[in-house]
Amino acid sequence: MAEEQKKHKKRRTATEAAASIGPMVKEFIAGTVRARQEGQTKIAYTFIVCGHEEILSALGVLPLWTENFAGICGAKRDAERFLQRAESLGFSRSLCTYALCGLGFDQWREEAGEMPPDAPWGGQVRPDFMVSTGQILCDPRAKWYQAAQQYMPDVPIYNIDLPHPLFDPKKDHREVWGYYHKYLVAQYRGFIKFVEDITGNKMDYDRLAELVALSDKTWNLIDETYKLRAARPSPMGTGDAMNTMVPINFKMASQEAYDFFVNLNAELKEKIAKGEGECEDEKYRLMWGGGLPSWFALSDFNYFNSKGCSFPVETTYRMVMPLNEMDLPETNDPVEHLAWRWLGYWTFWFDKARKRPGSEPDVERLINWIEEYHIDGVVMHEAFSCRTWHVGLIWQLNQLAKIYKPIPVLTLGANGQQKKSNRELPSLILESDIIDISSYSEVDTRNKIDAFVETLESVRQTRVER
Amino acid sequence: MTDKNSIIASKVEPLYRDYGARAREIAAQGRKVIGYVCSFVPLELITAAGCVPFRIRGDVAEPITKGDTLLETIVCPFYRSTFDLAVKGKYDFLTGVVIPHACDSMTRSFSVWSYSLNYPYFHFVNIPSVVDDSSFVFFNAELDAYKTSLEEFTGQKISDAAIAKAIKLHNDNRRKAKAIYAYRQSDPPMISGVELTKVMTVGTSLPIEESNALFDEVLAELQQRTAAPVKKGPRILFDAACVDNIELIELIEASGANVVVDTICNGTRDYFPLADEQGDPIDALSRRYLDGINCPKTYRTNTAGTFEGDCASRFGDIAALAKDYKVDGAVLYIYKYCDPFGFEVPARKAFYDALKVPVLYLEDMYSTGTIGQLSTRVQAFLEMIG
Amino acid sequence: MSDYFAGIDIGSTMTKAVIMDTAGIIATVIGPTGPEQRRLANKVMEDALGQADLPLTSITFIVSTGYGRINVPFADRQLTEITCHGRGVSYFFPEARTIIDIGGQDSKAIKIDANGRPVDFVMNDKCAAGSGRFVEVIAEALGVELEEMGPLSLKSVNPIKISNICTVWAEQEITAKRVEGVPLQDIIAGIHESLAIRVSRLARRLKIEEKVILTGGGAKNPGLVKAVATQLEHELLVPPEPLLTGAVGAALLGRDLLARARAKGTVLETRERILTEIELFGS
Repeated sequence: MAEEQKKHKKRRTATEAAASIGPMVKEFIAGTVRARQEGQTKIAYTFIVCGHEEILSALGVLPLWTENFAGICGAKRDAERFLQRAESLGFSRSLCTYALCGLGFDQWREEAGEMPPDAPWGGQVRPDFMVSTGQILCDPRAKWYQAAQQYMPDVPIYNIDLPHPLFDPKKDHREVWGYYHKYLVAQYRGFIKFVEDITGNKMDYDRLAELVALSDKTWNLIDETYKLRAARPSPMGTGDAMNTMVPINFKMASQEAYDFFVNLNAELKEKIAKGEGECEDEKYRLMWGGGLPSWFALSDFNYFNSKGCSFPVETTYRMVMPLNEMDLPETNDPVEHLAWRWLGYWTFWFDKARKRPGSEPDVERLINWIEEYHIDGVVMHEAFSCRTWHVGLIWQLNQLAKIYKPIPVLTLGANGQQKKSNRELPSLILESDIIDISSYSEVDTRNKIDAFVETLESVRQTRVER
Repeated sequence: MTDKNSIIASKVEPLYRDYGARAREIAAQGRKVIGYVCSFVPLELITAAGCVPFRIRGDVAEPITKGDTLLETIVCPFYRSTFDLAVKGKYDFLTGVVIPHACDSMTRSFSVWSYSLNYPYFHFVNIPSVVDDSSFVFFNAELDAYKTSLEEFTGQKISDAAIAKAIKLHNDNRRKAKAIYAYRQSDPPMISGVELTKVMTVGTSLPIEESNALFDEVLAELQQRTAAPVKKGPRILFDAACVDNIELIELIEASGANVVVDTICNGTRDYFPLADEQGDPIDALSRRYLDGINCPKTYRTNTAGTFEGDCASRFGDIAALAKDYKVDGAVLYIYKYCDPFGFEVPARKAFYDALKVPVLYLEDMYSTGTIGQLSTRVQAFLEMIG
Repeated sequence: MSDYFAGIDIGSTMTKAVIMDTAGIIATVIGPTGPEQRRLANKVMEDALGQADLPLTSITFIVSTGYGRINVPFADRQLTEITCHGRGVSYFFPEARTIIDIGGQDSKAIKIDANGRPVDFVMNDKCAAGSGRFVEVIAEALGVELEEMGPLSLKSVNPIKISNICTVWAEQEITAKRVEGVPLQDIIAGIHESLAIRVSRLARRLKIEEKVILTGGGAKNPGLVKAVATQLEHELLVPPEPLLTGAVGAALLGRDLLARARAKGTVLETRERILTEIELFGS
């Protein structure tokens, strides 16, 4: 174990903002441990992207992000013992490894009556309640907490159902989103009542409206900030974004999150002014087009950098879109607004996708960002344990290649003559997992990256100058 | 052994082996056959629209090849198989497919299906995840949208009366199926697990009126049976998701046990819950499909406050089946990469322990290649409980 | 007239035969399994009868087990290796409650009760890296005799970590280590640890209860035994001849079946006591 940790170097960050995240998360976890000891604040296990941070904050609940804790175990390369513990309980290794890590950890803690030895950063404390939402975003979430309840039978669960319409190329989603909205609002109101009952606090709707306005503002700022990464060279890559996702997903609706992006925005502008890129010598700009990262192998982004590859944009964990580009119905009710914002986010690319033959929202997003960020190639990651985010990636690249061929190249025709044709962007699919390191081969991954860079180079050489 | 002249041998067997033969015939006659994979697809609306619902099957003997070029291998292996067959043209006679929000494998691959296959009709039915009052309101609206999409596809309005009629037909089908299941309650059962699975599977490939007629014929024959087709042996409850082939059931029965009841999607999960024949038909469908079906994909709030109480409520129907069919053991058969069932394994196992029903847990892919490995496990289990 | 019982265990790698009387074991034969399992079953039976100086007709009941159990035409009954190992291990260790078997091509863990009856089991037969085959492949790659792997590995003070879960990749990894000059014993100890981790992961799916017994070919490798004990954090007991527990259990189960039948007054079906000549392909 010691030998492994010696060999594994921590990833270098391109921005100071990203470098500040490690200590931020460590302090956050320590905060949950303190809160548990003091016993004054209610703690809730929960998941990112449920649109409920404002509600939890207004009612004084401290969220404990179980996916984050599993990610920490993965990044520290200390997830295996918890995965094995879950397996010994009867869970299949093919299930979400975030969940396996969490379940293994919880059962161990409950059975031992104390934290497992050397628990990462103090460990994951016992919650007062658990909140999940699955619906379209991730169905296994509800099953995870339901399974965890076996080991903590006195901890109640609230499962908020938050569906959104799927894309239909022939229909305007606004034809149905009225009844979706009604359902979301009912579900959120039910959730508010549940939390009021457990905390004994009454919802202050003015406070809620304030927090919602703050997160709206933060969403717009995040989008504006990330758009800066389109500069050449790109000042910040996906590696850093896997750190800066923390305030987006774990601290939304807080002044801290807003200020973080004010600072990041300033830092990026400074780097752009100085011509500082995340890469010393930026040759190729890549998009992380899909898939959760391997938390134990974020240093692979430095490997990409060393080959002259930057990552100006990613689809993963960028869970906000600019509200000023959504045409949401007006409302003064913060809960109704939350529901509209949820629908606005999930249908953001629908209109554009409908206008392009053969397109589809995820594909449309790829095309738009390829152009906006001047992208040369797309990288995807297949994590074996997560069907939620990793089914459809092969098809997306396929469809992208079918309908979007932006690179004019010269190739040899059958008669030996050079001919001009248009080709799709090169793409690469990496395979392993989010936190199960036994699925990962560094040698194999780096071979794939090398081969991909060679492909990028050869495409560039055959590219016709405009 | 099934008598060569029996309905099962002469009518069911050929339709099981050449699955979809009848559907192909009626499609050629111009009827619209609409495919589905999953108990959550409301079939009555398809029937009310004048179309024919057809349950898409996988094939355990067909290696997945073409499907893998478009769909990731981490998807449920059964679902991968259905997709592979579809892209290989095995279901060319369909004019559409309806996919429900049942699990991530299905939901996340909806675009893969709808863009890769040329059917004129594709629809996604967004089944709620929870069973609150607001969920029924939502689901009613979603069912209306589904109905509208069928109306647009066929160019014909669907009346409430038509839906009510379809409900009655599908309920008849379910009642007849349950009557067939009743022949499993004797010891030994008067219909083997292999025979019954073939009958139920074939039933989902026919227009509902023909399925009803076939079940009637099977029932008439069972009434005449004087000898059981199998010997007495340990009585097994087969607990799984979609198992649309007889291979494992055949293995269990060849090892000396009798599969007397199941929870499988193309078994009791499809056939046992009825829809209300009174009142608003959309309401009735909403209740049946959201609340009537018992599947891990539906999140049911723990109202008992204890783990044991929660299990008793979630798996109560399993307990009832175990009692009614006097089972001696259970086989819990879960596909690798199956999230809804996979997360429930410890709870289900604990529940079987509480019922004092020994359970064999098998994790498998969807392929005949694993049958040797399954054989040892099944035999060892039967030796254990024997 | 005395009763004699025979157990034949046709494993994926080794075939074993045992003859017992009411007092104990009177003959044992161990040989490699080949493709002609029926012929081999005949051969080991003949050899065992020779050892015991008995005719086939004197054997009261014969039980076959193992992966090739259906290829013993003269067996009166076939039972899985789960049931037979359980019975056999409890014969040698009445206090046994958990059995871990590391065979040539698979591994398994079995929980048994005080009578040696299995109450739960798990198997891994999907992957070479979880079986004795893993060690065999590496032994060949390193040019080391299989029997030497254990004693050599015990000399290691600094075992390497094998990061790959696949036998083929692991082989590549250790070749690289050899080139780097890593001592042989450290490589072998690393291989044993890797297999032990996989085996203990499998075993942990059952609630491990004392006493824990290791059987199968893997149990003859002292380095592997030590590695499994370390990973499992449990003391392990090993039978005098770890390859025989299946066949012994089979013979004993035959004895049990006969005793039960006699008590009930029923007659057990038995096969004809002939070792039929097997036609070879192409002859």
